[in-house]
Amino acid sequence: MNIHAMFVNRLTLFILLAPAACCLLSCQKIVSIDLNEASPHIVIEGVVTDSLGPYSVILSMSGDYFAPSSYFPPVSGAHIIMTDNMNQQDTLKEIVSGTYQTSTIKGIPGTSYQMKVAAQGTDYDAVSTMPQKVYIDSLYSMIRTSFGGNTGYDIYIMFKDPPQTNNYNYYRVNAQSSALIPTDSIDGIRYRLFTDELTKGQEMTVRIRSGDKVAKGDTITIELLSIDKAAYDYFNTLSKILSSDQSPTSLAPQNPTSNISGGALGYFAAYTVDTKKIVLH
Amino acid sequence: MRVYVSSAIVLFLFLSPISSLSAQDKYSLSGVIKNGETGEVLIGAAIIIRELPGIGALSNAYGFYSLTLPEGRYTYQTQFMGFKMRIDSLVLNTNRVVNIILIPVLIKVNDVTVSGERSNANVTSTEVSENKLEMKQVESIPVLLGEKDILKTIQLLPGIKSAGEGSTGFYSRGGGIDQNLIVLDEAPVYNPSHLLGYLSVFNADAIKDVSVITGGMPAEYGGRLSSVVDIRTNDGNDKEFGGSGGIGLLDSRLMLDGPIVVDQGSFIVTARRSYADLFLHLSRDTTINQASLYFYDLNMKANYTLGDKDRIFLSGYFGRDNFSYPNIFGFNWGNTTGTLRWNHIFGDHLFSNTSFIVSDYEYTNSVSSGTSQFEITSGIKDLNFKEDFQYFTSSQSTLKFGVNSIYHTFVPGTITGGTPSGLISVNLEHRYALENGIYFSHELNVFSSLKVNYGLRFSTFSLLGPGHIYSYDSNGDPVDTAVYSSGAVIKTYTSLEPRLSLNYLLDETSSIKTSYTRTTQYLHLLSSSTETNPSDLWIPSSNNVPPQYADQVDLGYFRNFDDNAFETSLQIYYKNMQNVIDYKNGADLQRNPNIESLLLYGRGWGYGAELLIRKRYGTISGWIGYTLSRTNEQFAQINDGQPFPATQDRTHDISVVFIYDYSSTWTFSATWVYNTGNAVTFPNGDYRDYFDQRKIPYYTNRNGYRMPPYHRLDFSATWTLGPHSNLNFSIYNVYDRMNAYSITFRPDPNNTNQNQAVQTTIFPIIPSVTYNFTF
Repeated sequence: MNIHAMFVNRLTLFILLAPAACCLLSCQKIVSIDLNEASPHIVIEGVVTDSLGPYSVILSMSGDYFAPSSYFPPVSGAHIIMTDNMNQQDTLKEIVSGTYQTSTIKGIPGTSYQMKVAAQGTDYDAVSTMPQKVYIDSLYSMIRTSFGGNTGYDIYIMFKDPPQTNNYNYYRVNAQSSALIPTDSIDGIRYRLFTDELTKGQEMTVRIRSGDKVAKGDTITIELLSIDKAAYDYFNTLSKILSSDQSPTSLAPQNPTSNISGGALGYFAAYTVDTKKIVLH
Repeated sequence: MRVYVSSAIVLFLFLSPISSLSAQDKYSLSGVIKNGETGEVLIGAAIIIRELPGIGALSNAYGFYSLTLPEGRYTYQTQFMGFKMRIDSLVLNTNRVVNIILIPVLIKVNDVTVSGERSNANVTSTEVSENKLEMKQVESIPVLLGEKDILKTIQLLPGIKSAGEGSTGFYSRGGGIDQNLIVLDEAPVYNPSHLLGYLSVFNADAIKDVSVITGGMPAEYGGRLSSVVDIRTNDGNDKEFGGSGGIGLLDSRLMLDGPIVVDQGSFIVTARRSYADLFLHLSRDTTINQASLYFYDLNMKANYTLGDKDRIFLSGYFGRDNFSYPNIFGFNWGNTTGTLRWNHIFGDHLFSNTSFIVSDYEYTNSVSSGTSQFEITSGIKDLNFKEDFQYFTSSQSTLKFGVNSIYHTFVPGTITGGTPSGLISVNLEHRYALENGIYFSHELNVFSSLKVNYGLRFSTFSLLGPGHIYSYDSNGDPVDTAVYSSGAVIKTYTSLEPRLSLNYLLDETSSIKTSYTRTTQYLHLLSSSTETNPSDLWIPSSNNVPPQYADQVDLGYFRNFDDNAFETSLQIYYKNMQNVIDYKNGADLQRNPNIESLLLYGRGWGYGAELLIRKRYGTISGWIGYTLSRTNEQFAQINDGQPFPATQDRTHDISVVFIYDYSSTWTFSATWVYNTGNAVTFPNGDYRDYFDQRKIPYYTNRNGYRMPPYHRLDFSATWTLGPHSNLNFSIYNVYDRMNAYSITFRPDPNNTNQNQAVQTTIFPIIPSVTYNFTF
């Protein structure tokens, strides 16, 4: 229900009020804030999918917020083991500094995976279960004419939510296109999350809104990920920090909820991916 | 109820045998104190017996006073701010009913008669931390867009802090926004704001009296932890028809009043509507010119006096906000309250007020885009019965007792989805609860320099069926569902809330006061913001959600100078709050059936010192308030269990209010506020998400940073054009201070390797003009 949060925003009110009281214009400026230096913290990202391996685990350290860099120190020399609940065990190899790869383990829906990391004298541990695969039935796109004058495309992804008795299903939809949502865009959440909490077992239609940079003829790649609850919680809490439509008075931000024990940032997720492409027209 | 009431009387008799003894040759003097021009009863007018120093009474919220005196001949003076003092005498050899008429003082400069009317009530009363706002002062204090607003004006008092720039939400002594009991003519108001929080729902034209209690809360109030804002509306002129109005930048308002039967009954109707949306219609953009953005509100009240002993009041409030963009979203909310009250005087000593109150807050949000749409509604409805007695046992002793029962209906959010939104309609169950309170309090002059007010409130809260009630494991996953039938008791809480305040009079103009208060709160406001939003959700205490409790002690020194021209006070307080609420990470509060599993309970505590220097009367009036305080919170699951400063923790908070009656045509006023910035959480570092190819901020300490200090000067000038009209010019933020409304962090759009902090200011300098008239 991010749409809700997007509109229930006081700044929106003031944009609307502005014609009435011309002086009511909010203004923004870049300010310098003195942030304390936090000691670097380990970040672990581990992923297993139902595509062919190898799968990667990436270890890095956090940096200073205002440091002018995209470089974050990799963590080398870690010992990483991945196992599944069918007694397969795989010791990962460091292929480049901080990036470790599996060699034998296979991503199979319904399987639980455990990742054990020993790095810098600390043990980290996480478990993730790959949900059953859900396939995209069809995609279609529509030109959007919206308030504020921006136009773009709305892309609709249709699929059938498999009925399950007890648990909810969790999904993430990625949209890939250089023009759709550029990497590291300031409002760039490149995915949408949702659950079948209210739509269990139904035909689902999910909309992705493009920015105004895509044009007729562009190809958009859509990925539908079936993720487990822990991964959903991680991405969901992450999106609260990143979403640009969060109100300036929103509650205190917190680090995303990680499923990795031992105090690392990041996550370990086993998920399925179904990919389809659509050409805008 | 009767059983409760009589047991309260028995309890009282047991506790204070003094008052019912030796009544020989004592008679009562009682009645109503009224404004002679309009017939409005006066709240808090003082009647003083000249022959008996220290003996007197104040009129109550319905203008009633009662004194019990030995037989004799007395001279008594009656006084109230803004009215000519009057002196009368009588022979008291039987119980007497005397209704007293006071005549308002016309606009005056350096009027010497005013000095005689100064009161030392602030020194002599047992109310430790109670402030009354003079509506006359409220009218001259500048506020945003020239809108007189009592909820913004009370934020200028020490101990009360604004929840944010332009916000009507406030914090009282470190308590949360939802811990303030805001009562309009006995009816609780659940969301007191228009325009997403920028304007209060209270139309100043309708208001007679406002009192604000931040400490030593008397036993007749309950249900909220931190403060009471008791708002009484005008009754209307019972002598002749009249009216007033105003035209401002934001809205226009109109008030009409007049007699139903002269001297016996009157009515008053006030209405307001904003018209920002009319300007939107001028836009050429077809979306914008169909947008709507407005609010309106309506206060109606009628009263009728049936003989000397009875008076009935019927009053209502209705307000709505509407904010919509066609085919995109709509957003409307509003309060409705209705009150039927009956005053009855039993004999000459026992005053009773019986109230039947309905109260309804409703919020609807609809979103549609393309072919998908859905609608969310939520709210809270109350049916409320209240019976309050005031028993004037002697001139040394007053007893209050009563009961209150509220039947709450909570509408936690209903979603109606259209196709193909992918949402099915969800009807979250309503919740029902019965909240009861029974109380007594006794104000007693133990000896001439020591006054005590002790009391006890016993409250109960029962969550009632029907409903499916979940219980949760430590992960917040539902483990069990119990089904309750209609009216079945799901969970009951009870609480004993002792209240005590003492006033030791050092001399005529100085005193020391102290109080202890325990309060309990069974309703909780869940908000996804640090300010108030219309979408905030009230939820009841339940098997999963415990009530909040607060204990507060305070101590104050009160001293008046220069024949009560200057009132000063210094107070210190300590407050401890249990089960204050915060949220689990990523908690989604909208339309969530498992909302109770997303809450965290912790402890909050605050302490501080408050200094007030105030001049109520004269050519120059106003006050200076300074608060030095600290508020902390501690949750096992937040900040590694370490205490952290609450959002509302502001070390320094200063308000200066200055009103200058320059001449009969010009009044100038200015306010200056300063406060330490809110405690906020900023990122302490960042890290790279390699799979999603972006940087993510990294947080360590909750509320480990401060927003920049906030300060602002406002100015207002009122030009009286004639007996029936004036023009008000005001300037908000005179020196155009760029106060930080928010500071957000993001990658630099031009260089995504570099992060930056962006400060948003929403109110620069804003001039406005309002035309006010009466007829």
